[in-house]
Amino acid sequence: MKERAFAVELKIPDNEAYTAMRALQRLGVEVARVQRADILVFNREESDERLGEIIERDERLFNPNKHRLERLLDMHPRAGEVWIEMLDAPRSAPLRRLVGWRLFDHAGNPLGDADLDAACARLLCNPAIERAIR
Amino acid sequence: MRNSSSNCRRGPSLPDLAVAELDDEALRARADSLGLALRVDELRSIAERLGRAPSLVELYAFDAQWSEHCSYKSSRALLGRLPTSGPDVVLGPAEDAGILHLGEHEGERYGIVIAHESHNHPSQVVPFEGAATGIGGIVRDVLCMGAEVVAVADPLRFGNVDPANEHQRAVARGVVDGIAAYGNAIGVPNIAGDCYFDRDFDDNVLVNVVALGLVKESEVIHSRVPRHGADFVLLLVGKATDASGFGGASFSSVALDAQEAQSNKGAVQVPDPFLKNVIMRASYRVFSVLRERGVEVGFKDLGAGGIMGCSAELCSAGGFGAEIDLDTVNVAVDRLLPEVIAVGETQERLLWALPEEIVDEVERIYNEEFSLPQVAQNARAVRIGRATAEQKYRLRHRGELVMDVPIDFLTGTVRDTLPAEAPVPPTMRREREILCEGTLDDLFHEILAHRDVCSRAPLYRHYDAVVRGRTVIPRGEADAGVLAPIRGSRLAFALSVGGNPRIGRIDPQRAAELAVYESARKVVAVGGEPIGLTDCLNYGSPRDPRQYGELVAGVDGLARAARGFGLAYVSGNVSLYNAAANGHAIPASPIVACVGRLADVSRCVTPPLKEVGSHLYLIGETQRALGGSVLASILGLADEAAPEIDMERVVSEHRFILAAAREGLLQSARAISNGGLLVTLAEMSFGCVAARRAPIGIELDGSVGWSSVGRNESLFGEWGGIVVEVARGDTERFEALAESLESVREIGTTTAEPLLAFEDEAWEIADLQRSWSRPLEELFP
Amino acid sequence: MKARVAVLVFPGTNSEEETRDLLIDCGADARIVHWSEAASLVYYDAFVLPGGFAYEDRIRAGAIAAHDAMLDAVIEGAQAGKYIMGICNGAQILLEAGLAPGTGDIRRPTAAFTHNAQGHFICERVLLRRTVAATRCAIAAALPENLLIPAWAAHGEGRLAAVPSHLEEIENGDFIVFRYADVTGATDAHFAPQGSALGAAALTNREGNVLAIMPHPERDAWNFNHLDRSEGNDPLAPSGGSVLFKSFVTALERR
Repeated sequence: MKERAFAVELKIPDNEAYTAMRALQRLGVEVARVQRADILVFNREESDERLGEIIERDERLFNPNKHRLERLLDMHPRAGEVWIEMLDAPRSAPLRRLVGWRLFDHAGNPLGDADLDAACARLLCNPAIERAIR
Repeated sequence: MRNSSSNCRRGPSLPDLAVAELDDEALRARADSLGLALRVDELRSIAERLGRAPSLVELYAFDAQWSEHCSYKSSRALLGRLPTSGPDVVLGPAEDAGILHLGEHEGERYGIVIAHESHNHPSQVVPFEGAATGIGGIVRDVLCMGAEVVAVADPLRFGNVDPANEHQRAVARGVVDGIAAYGNAIGVPNIAGDCYFDRDFDDNVLVNVVALGLVKESEVIHSRVPRHGADFVLLLVGKATDASGFGGASFSSVALDAQEAQSNKGAVQVPDPFLKNVIMRASYRVFSVLRERGVEVGFKDLGAGGIMGCSAELCSAGGFGAEIDLDTVNVAVDRLLPEVIAVGETQERLLWALPEEIVDEVERIYNEEFSLPQVAQNARAVRIGRATAEQKYRLRHRGELVMDVPIDFLTGTVRDTLPAEAPVPPTMRREREILCEGTLDDLFHEILAHRDVCSRAPLYRHYDAVVRGRTVIPRGEADAGVLAPIRGSRLAFALSVGGNPRIGRIDPQRAAELAVYESARKVVAVGGEPIGLTDCLNYGSPRDPRQYGELVAGVDGLARAARGFGLAYVSGNVSLYNAAANGHAIPASPIVACVGRLADVSRCVTPPLKEVGSHLYLIGETQRALGGSVLASILGLADEAAPEIDMERVVSEHRFILAAAREGLLQSARAISNGGLLVTLAEMSFGCVAARRAPIGIELDGSVGWSSVGRNESLFGEWGGIVVEVARGDTERFEALAESLESVREIGTTTAEPLLAFEDEAWEIADLQRSWSRPLEELFP
Repeated sequence: MKARVAVLVFPGTNSEEETRDLLIDCGADARIVHWSEAASLVYYDAFVLPGGFAYEDRIRAGAIAAHDAMLDAVIEGAQAGKYIMGICNGAQILLEAGLAPGTGDIRRPTAAFTHNAQGHFICERVLLRRTVAATRCAIAAALPENLLIPAWAAHGEGRLAAVPSHLEEIENGDFIVFRYADVTGATDAHFAPQGSALGAAALTNREGNVLAIMPHPERDAWNFNHLDRSEGNDPLAPSGGSVLFKSFVTALERR
């Protein structure tokens, strides 16, 4: 079975991302924009279309009124992006839920590795319970 | 062409609807394409009254304001039949919430503010958010009366949640999660509620919500601009307006089908309990500033019809018009259409009407001291307009006048006269008792495990029942929740809800009467004196004479029972068009909440049995009427009559029980409801977690006269009544107090052995508890 | 003079009033201090972080509040030996701030109260027993041995979790001040309703001047909160869970 990932992102103002940005700025991280998404990683037989339907039907995962859904072609975070996963989440579950954070600098570019590391260590990831996937 | 009398100039982007130039069919088609639920005759009357073609903004405004949801056009005339005044009524059902007199403490009169609403359709479409915004909305109704919000309750009706019915199960879970997420976050304890499961709610769940607040009666804020309020500033507070919730009022006024359920997701608002938490606290701060300054103001929740609905009602209730500039509204997205800003139902917003001299201070409290803009993007308090002496409702957008109508026409009473067909309930009263196949043991366990009887703990443990630290009886530990809301005072109140859809299905009028009796009985069982009621009328289509007839019968039943108890309704809500996809209406579902007063919280009575060797009494009259009972549903008896209420007798019983509670004669008490007497006794015997006390046994007296109507009818009939425990040394005083009341009978004693013993049966209490406690665990793990 | 205790309110806090009221009834001069008044915190002898959902638990429960300006004063106070108690969300904040168990750097958490095993919020009565020596945590020092303290677990994220080496350190270093108990006073991991590691309900730091307690003793703290467990005739008198607050105030008075 091949793992497939989907990103569910708010299309209305994301107050959590906004709060994260302000907190990171307070911590001295040079960040100008923060995007947040629920990353849903499937380890199931169904086709991509079918998985998309499963997400769209489940109100706890997706609400067309406030979310947009994207099938991720890459199973890894992009530049400037980190995925946070609970350490005790079973790795083999048919659906794993992670949180994706994507940070941008003042020039609109994805944040560099050093700054992203700092953002993870100081706020985005609690290593007692979470791992940061880069 | 525009009538010359119009002073309404609009840009080319906002075409008017040329009502006069279209025939009925074309007008209907045009209205449908605009998503307007207004009828053709209503459209014509608007154009006629305005003397010109109405603008789009105006049409959407009337669409919301004249919707069933806002105007109660099918029910308003009926609601006049309900009693709404009485000695404990501080404010009847005229504003966002009603107020009941709780009592005095340190020379101050305190009132309990109460509001009761439905959020049925939104919860069917998006269960989590629909239910959450239900709590959010009802809390604002109470807050805007100047009250501190102290409790919520949630009567729920779900579909058949058998394991195969994934959708119904998901809806039930989503609703419970939504209520929990919102209520827990704002820090208001959930202290009462009930829950039924029935396949007639498969396509249309009922999510009713009740909120209570505490207010000093001298400090009530009304939902209207005060008398001297010409030119008062309208200050909008809360979340930035967005496109969510556009079409909400009309959406909740039409029946749903599955297709529409999908496409209507956009009409459901997005809740933000975190922002609400801060708005509540900031508003409490504003209340104290207003008190210090002695300023009279108006305050109202934004619900159906958004800014337009709220401002129009706030101003017209004070005898004013309004003028609002939509460009001043804080918005979440650019280029919102004026009609969306005007009538969209973005959550977490309230509207103040304030005198100029205090506006800056109030703005500062919200925007700086409580930093709303940092809590949610662009949330804030902003001036959006003024109340005007001229009786017009005007909206401006980009410098253009986009709405200009007589305000009384907009907010005035619209009434529909509808044909009703009176329901014909079954009247069958069996000559002989019902005999069941199988053993009593099997039947008892089956009833204990029935979804409408068994423990609700798996559901309500999702809810914070004790935040604020003033909870006396939390959710689930008794039939009513009890709260002591005033620091330093022994005053307390009880809250319960009632309404049984199985009775609604067979006898709509009796169902309403029994809902009142049930809610009052549950309050009495904890030692609370009932002081007032609210009602939420959940029915089918008023356009169907049979379904409308059920509503008429329900209102009559509510009126009759309330008069019998000497109680009034101070708040309520009507939810119509509740139906299944196939057009069948839901069972008639009048749902009632009852507030009770406890002058001294230490006289509150709880259900768990307290000691061995006590005497148990039944206060109530058994009946051979199984209609609507769990037993009837298990046995498939469809033609049984519902129980009757002998109002005079019940009132004396309640008076007696309250007197006994005040005298400290009741060790424990519990109302008999779903499942009947034996279930009630079992629930009392299960021990007490709060007291860390193990189960106490019961030995029932098999020979007493109460079994004359038949064994199963006595043990499992749902005819009401209350069971009380009286300590051995108190029985003489208790019986003396009962005097000539005939419906007080001793039925057994409490025992050390953890058994519930009756005739030849002796059930292990642990076994009974096992059957009762687990069935909902698989649904709400 | 009464000890001055600040009850901190972040946006989203919801248990400040009963927390303040109980502190007052237990003999403290307690006041609510709002997030816009962080500068005034230096004038207080002790801090209590009450329950709620500070900053909506954005990112993680307690994560944003741990970086709030109010926490600067709390951290400074903790390092100067002031007594700090966090209840429920307050406890989550103290863990995120690295003040409890305090085995790592400041604001570099080594443990967390995280998602309940059942995956949702729970609200139920619990019993707590102190499972360290009276001297280990000053805030809980005045409690009689083996006393069962009633409280309410009312949280969605109350399960202690940490990597195994840190859990071992927490266990061996006697950081677990209270564990969930049954009516006999026995403690066992399975008495923790949300699956908390080691059956832990509350953690302290090395110095014992910080207490991060997950369940709410202040919600079962007056006679009217537990009429079925009568402790005297006055329904308004503090009782039950108030013993912990009394111990907290006693500790402040003894300093």
